[in-house]
Amino acid sequence: MSLIGDLNSFSFADILQVLHTDKKSGVLIVEWDDMTVAYYIKEGEVVLARPVDKVFRVYADRDFAVLLTKLRLQDRALAETIKKFFLSRLDKRNGRFSFTQGFIKYPHDVPVFFSSEQLIMEAARHLTLEETERKISDELLIFEKMPDYEEKILKAKLTDKERKVLNLIDGRNTVKDIVEKSGLDKLTVYRTLYGLLSIGAIKRKKKPMKRRASISLDLLAKLIEKIKKL
Amino acid sequence: MSEEKQTKKIKIVISGPFAAGKTEFIKTVSEIEPVTTERKISHKEEKEKKATTTVAMDFGKIKIDNEHELYLFGTPGQARFNFMWEVLGEGALGVIVLVDSTDPTTFHEARRIINFFHSRYPIPMVIGANKQDLPNAWSPKDIAIALDISEDEGIPVIGLSAKNKEDVKKVLLALLEKIRENILEG
Repeated sequence: MSLIGDLNSFSFADILQVLHTDKKSGVLIVEWDDMTVAYYIKEGEVVLARPVDKVFRVYADRDFAVLLTKLRLQDRALAETIKKFFLSRLDKRNGRFSFTQGFIKYPHDVPVFFSSEQLIMEAARHLTLEETERKISDELLIFEKMPDYEEKILKAKLTDKERKVLNLIDGRNTVKDIVEKSGLDKLTVYRTLYGLLSIGAIKRKKKPMKRRASISLDLLAKLIEKIKKL
Repeated sequence: MSEEKQTKKIKIVISGPFAAGKTEFIKTVSEIEPVTTERKISHKEEKEKKATTTVAMDFGKIKIDNEHELYLFGTPGQARFNFMWEVLGEGALGVIVLVDSTDPTTFHEARRIINFFHSRYPIPMVIGANKQDLPNAWSPKDIAIALDISEDEGIPVIGLSAKNKEDVKKVLLALLEKIRENILEG
């Protein structure tokens, strides 16, 4: 299965959300006009970013430990690659991405200098209001915290403003309420909600299902049988 | 009184972003030639994907027995016809939201549609991850994550090709099962 798309419509926050939630391992390639970067992903965490002149070269190095030796990279330098080739490129939209799963062999002890939660939150801080409205599409939406949200928040390294937003998420406040009660600007609130949703710290509150008596169980059974026989 | 007037109509809505395969889905299982309101597309980018689009609704029909018919109503995919979601959602038994699995540019629009139906008409829902037969299709599991569908939301994401009758039946049956669960819980 592929993960292919473009950054204009599917941001870094979105891509990392998919990779992190499913703990995928492999290589994410992003091709911009000025540069192509390979992001090495181990169990959903970005462990290395490196520019490549030709995409096929990425597939020549299948052993991550050997690759690091070849690139003469010490552990501490891995963090620098992420700063230089990930964090500094969050405002660049016109890139095509593709993720190839599983072909690279990672050692068990690859250090993670920036957690995915931290990178996703940082990516969310670069979204425009229009982009945040892709997930926060209605100011009447209500969010609630996930049971394990504290663990995720700890890794995400929230700012004081983001903590303020988090504290107002209680399963009752709407997005509009959070904007009003926090005194923060709409963009900051929307970016924070987008990031928290993407790292899985919060979720939309489920509305009770509307009960409908417009069909009986007998008629439904008949309908199921009809569909099966089509 | 005509036979048509005496028949009770049961409604299921087929929604989804532009070019998700809604009309195809209905065509595949409808027992009548679906009634469509397709018009030629003028927008250049959209025209690259397909030549026509639904502007009001599509509908197909499946006869259950002499007294009941299932109507499948397809909503328009273009954002400017969103007011039709409201019209078609009223009185629906459930909704199927189709997504083009090969086009992540439409995933956020799909989530917007899910949010709409959840807030206005919280009725049983199933997501159909369409075009799974094409290369570059995202898996239903990845699409569920991209759409922020948490497990406890109880919305199944099912892979399909809307051209394949068995696949379409599978999605319809999944929705009917959600409707059955809903009745039993009630």
